[in-house]
Amino acid sequence: MDTPKKPDASRRNFLTGVAGAGALASLPLKDALAQAAPPNTISNDMVKADKAKAMQWHSERPLTGSVPAHEHDFDVTPNDRMFVRNNLTTPVIDINAHRLTITGLVDKELSWSVFDLAKNLKTVSMQGMLECAGSGRSAHQPRASGTPWLETGGMGCPMWGGVRLVDILKAAGLKPGAAHVAGQGGDPGLVPTAAPVIRSIPMRKAMDESTLVAWAMNGDPLPWVHGYPLRLVVPGWVGSASTKWLHTLTVLDAPFKGTYMTSSYVTPRTPVAPGEKMPAETASTEGWPVKSIITSPAPNAHVKGSGPILVRGRAWVGEGKVERVEISSDEGKTWQRAELAPAPPLHPYAWRTFTYEYKPQRSGYVTFLARAWDDRGNAQPAVSRWNPLGYFWNGWHRVGVVVEA
Amino acid sequence: MGAVAAAIASSVFSQNPETLISGPGSTLTETKCKICHELQHIRRTPLSRGEWADNLKNMKERGTPMTQAEMAVILDYLSTYYNREKPAPDPSPDTIATASDDPMEKLLGAHGCTACHNVDKRVVGPSFKEVAAKYSGDARAAERLAAKIRTGGQGAWGNVPMPPNAGLSEADAKTLAGWVLQQNN
Repeated sequence: MDTPKKPDASRRNFLTGVAGAGALASLPLKDALAQAAPPNTISNDMVKADKAKAMQWHSERPLTGSVPAHEHDFDVTPNDRMFVRNNLTTPVIDINAHRLTITGLVDKELSWSVFDLAKNLKTVSMQGMLECAGSGRSAHQPRASGTPWLETGGMGCPMWGGVRLVDILKAAGLKPGAAHVAGQGGDPGLVPTAAPVIRSIPMRKAMDESTLVAWAMNGDPLPWVHGYPLRLVVPGWVGSASTKWLHTLTVLDAPFKGTYMTSSYVTPRTPVAPGEKMPAETASTEGWPVKSIITSPAPNAHVKGSGPILVRGRAWVGEGKVERVEISSDEGKTWQRAELAPAPPLHPYAWRTFTYEYKPQRSGYVTFLARAWDDRGNAQPAVSRWNPLGYFWNGWHRVGVVVEA
Repeated sequence: MGAVAAAIASSVFSQNPETLISGPGSTLTETKCKICHELQHIRRTPLSRGEWADNLKNMKERGTPMTQAEMAVILDYLSTYYNREKPAPDPSPDTIATASDDPMEKLLGAHGCTACHNVDKRVVGPSFKEVAAKYSGDARAAERLAAKIRTGGQGAWGNVPMPPNAGLSEADAKTLAGWVLQQNN
């Protein structure tokens, strides 16, 4: 069997095309379809071929995977370390045939190609956080149903390129009563009866200047598994809001009613005891609470005790701002303030790097805890509130190292 | 090339063994659940009966082809053998599945064929009779159908795709193809 050809060359042409209205090119469909996968989809092996060795794959059907915290030591998450979470399969879509339809409560229905979007609207770059609602699920006790994301897995913060959703909505014109925008993607299920993945976001988030319809990730066309050729990017919110393989936006007068809104991606409206089933009153998952991870040193690293140990990590919050990050080296008895990189004004939903210089007092095992606070007075808890679907784990991240004499 | 081959080998390997603890309803549960996802999703997370009921309702909404009666069997099975609140009983024969000892029926059930196909009625996919008729007169029918059963397809019967059967051996695919082609009689 031949090694799958990486469609890099044509993908670069494509990007230039969008930026400079030059030549158009599409990914070579034939190569993708030659893999053993359902029709018009690409195989997991082809997805994995473009990913870092550090990726840990949690499931094949549907495909999910992520890197642990110490493999996330980047200010901007590279494509090959971005987490993968499919609900269905990875489709192969021809960019030249692809259209984005805007329908529902709009004055004028639109059907635009990716190139129309780039031509008609202002293109923007935005670094923004995406994190699966279930990121960290394996830390919840008892174990909740769903992908067992590592305590520190299932997130990433790449640079996205595309157009603002608000500009698309303005071009279509909103009718009175427009309250939600639903995104639908073109990923086929493994049975013909599979429900399409449709999620909706409220208008205030749809109008946020950082909410994009994106075609680029870190300067390259979206990788297949991340939504090529077009996706929503709803930064700071649970990843499922950021519909991949986006083909239809429907403006609605209320939240979309469908299984991916009402039975998945919900939390109890008031807390339940661990192990209880979902109560009748639920809330849709939206922005992530404040969270941080230690990305260096790696767990159980051996470090020299002769100089300071640099503890580095990343902190983010779905709504508002990270206000400060603290480090404890005595299991939470005392906390010291870490240096926090300034908030980039154009990228309010980007994670921020923090650093802390620890001066070892002795050799042996030392642990570091990280705790971030947002500007609304919320701090990360030691242990997150349990919920039946295991969402929103944001407990303190703890990393131990061995200090050598 | 070696790395890719190794990756494929390891991904096939990691899907095995695709089985659940044997007990009343285990065959039906395996058949329905593995249409869309690996069985490790069940094995690694025992739940309470209430959570399993929610989970099954969710899977039905997401499109799993299963009847209310089948859901009741699966709920009883899962909340007996994968219950976080009580240990699983010892494996026992699947008394519900052994209603038929016909090896062909077992093969069709184990690979989820009957979730979408029926001998003479169109369900979500074409009936086996229709498939057999389509291949009649094709000298290479057995070979081609066996390959199609393993790789899946789309277009021959409309736009709904048939998923691939990556876990199906070539020998079993040939057996299935031979049987399907006989349904034309």
